[in-house]
Amino acid sequence: MKLGLAIDLDTCVGCHACAVACKEWNGKSLMGGAPDYDPYGSAPSGTWYNRIRQYELDGDPSFTPQGCGSTHQPLSKTINVPMSCMHCEEAHCVTVCPTGASYKRAEDGIVLVDPDRCMGCNYCSWACPYGARELDADQGVMKKCTLCVDRIYDQQLPESERQPACVLACPTHARHFGDYDDPASKVSQLAAARGRQDMLGDLGYKPVNAYLSPRKPAQVEAVALRQGLSDKAKAFVNRLISL
Amino acid sequence: MKPAFSVIFFTVMSGAGLGLMVWLLVATMMSAHIRMPNVTFINGVIIAAAFIVVGLCSSTLHLANRKNVIYSLTQFRTSWLSREGVFALALFPIAGLYLWLRSAAAPTVVVHGLALVLIALAIIILFCTGMIYGCLKTIPRWNSWLTPTKYVLFGLMSGALLFVAILSTRSAEIGPLGRPWVAIVLLAAGLLVYLGYLLKHPRKQHTINDALGLKQGQVRLLDVGHTHGTFLTNEFGFQLAREKARLLRWLSIALGFVLPLVLLFFSNTPPFAPVVACLIGLFVERWLFFAEAEHVVRLYHGQQHV
Ligand code: SF4
Ligand code: SF4
Repeated sequence: MKLGLAIDLDTCVGCHACAVACKEWNGKSLMGGAPDYDPYGSAPSGTWYNRIRQYELDGDPSFTPQGCGSTHQPLSKTINVPMSCMHCEEAHCVTVCPTGASYKRAEDGIVLVDPDRCMGCNYCSWACPYGARELDADQGVMKKCTLCVDRIYDQQLPESERQPACVLACPTHARHFGDYDDPASKVSQLAAARGRQDMLGDLGYKPVNAYLSPRKPAQVEAVALRQGLSDKAKAFVNRLISL
Repeated sequence: MKPAFSVIFFTVMSGAGLGLMVWLLVATMMSAHIRMPNVTFINGVIIAAAFIVVGLCSSTLHLANRKNVIYSLTQFRTSWLSREGVFALALFPIAGLYLWLRSAAAPTVVVHGLALVLIALAIIILFCTGMIYGCLKTIPRWNSWLTPTKYVLFGLMSGALLFVAILSTRSAEIGPLGRPWVAIVLLAAGLLVYLGYLLKHPRKQHTINDALGLKQGQVRLLDVGHTHGTFLTNEFGFQLAREKARLLRWLSIALGFVLPLVLLFFSNTPPFAPVVACLIGLFVERWLFFAEAEHVVRLYHGQQHV
């Protein structure tokens, strides 16, 4: 299995619900622990497994209301990007770890940290291009997204809830969870249909999570207006008024 | 990257200590050319050991969970950090065995053979330290063969200066030419490699567009999603003012390389002046090594290029 998330960059509204749900679940869970530091003070900070950032993508400068010449979207667009561990296939965060605390599970590809082995050297966080690892300063060990490994296999939960907390919480259903090894799974189908963003692919980490590309805006045919006599009269009156 | 003092101190100190060890051992094998009283050798060994041990201890200071440090010897197969630790720990029993054999007047072949093993080990340790940084594709500035070269060369160089200083405390013959040529040549080579490192641009430039896979147009950060600093901004967000960087670069070149070179070449200054200048210069160099390196995660925080 190759478990991972598919995150829709078109529908994510950047509400941070996934990050809050993650904090809620992992803040206390067996695998987790995500402390806050000075949460109500002047310098609030904390360990998060998931962070959402907002970007602006410029529009096409050659855009006119009559249509735009390129495949580029016409107007600037806000893109919200939640980021957590991508559970990379070539997870160098794992190979650089000197203690063996970081590991990638053979059975489902989930990348985890064993808090009983981690010595808190931060080296793995240096090796991660995506900023997915943060030190838990209270325990002195590295923390990261566990893909809710303590939810997704839990037989006590109803089957519909055996999903990561972030996926369940997302109000716009921008997040999907599944097995990328199965071409029929929802995430595989979505990634195939929409295409995935190539994020620092040249570093060779092969992220498993897919960021579904924003769709191109539909090209609308521009139809020239037919001007009748009354339109001309109206235009004349308008010109008179604005004299 | 955040310049962590413990790591800077560790790399400079144990680098010099390992370098000193190498030159002490070389000197013992070249007794026809370098006449060194036994006391000088013993003093040298004590100083080298002190530098290495102090450095290694300081390297554990930045660990957030020191009780698990023992596991760091387990991932020899994949992790340069683990390899460094294993080799560094292997150094001590082998050095002990060497000292014992030497004092027990074992056959020269055995003693010299072991000396060669120790020299190789010292260079391997320095190389491993360099590769800890050099192997990271996420930090383009470091991801080059110049990084391990720098670590090996600067270790041998500062060690040679330390060796010259220690040798001069008692009457000893440095060599047929009367000048510490090894130190001079290493300083010159070190200067060239350092200038090369400063001038060479990282092989690959990454942009914010690459980071998000949005190639269609200009991308900029609207909101970073946190109100105060995070682990990531603390670890990777270090900003160095351009002017300050320039100043420090020149300072490290002048103190670390040029001044010791001039002192060794032209004058009979107190023997410790060159090595002190060089070590201070290397501290500045090492601080800059971290402060100037940029991690690609800065792209997600709004930086346009890394
Ligand atoms: S996203 Fe980072 S932490 Fe997660 S597997 Fe990839 S390199 Fe490792
Ligand atoms: S911080 Fe922990 S998990 Fe990360 S490299 Fe160091 S020992 Fe391994």
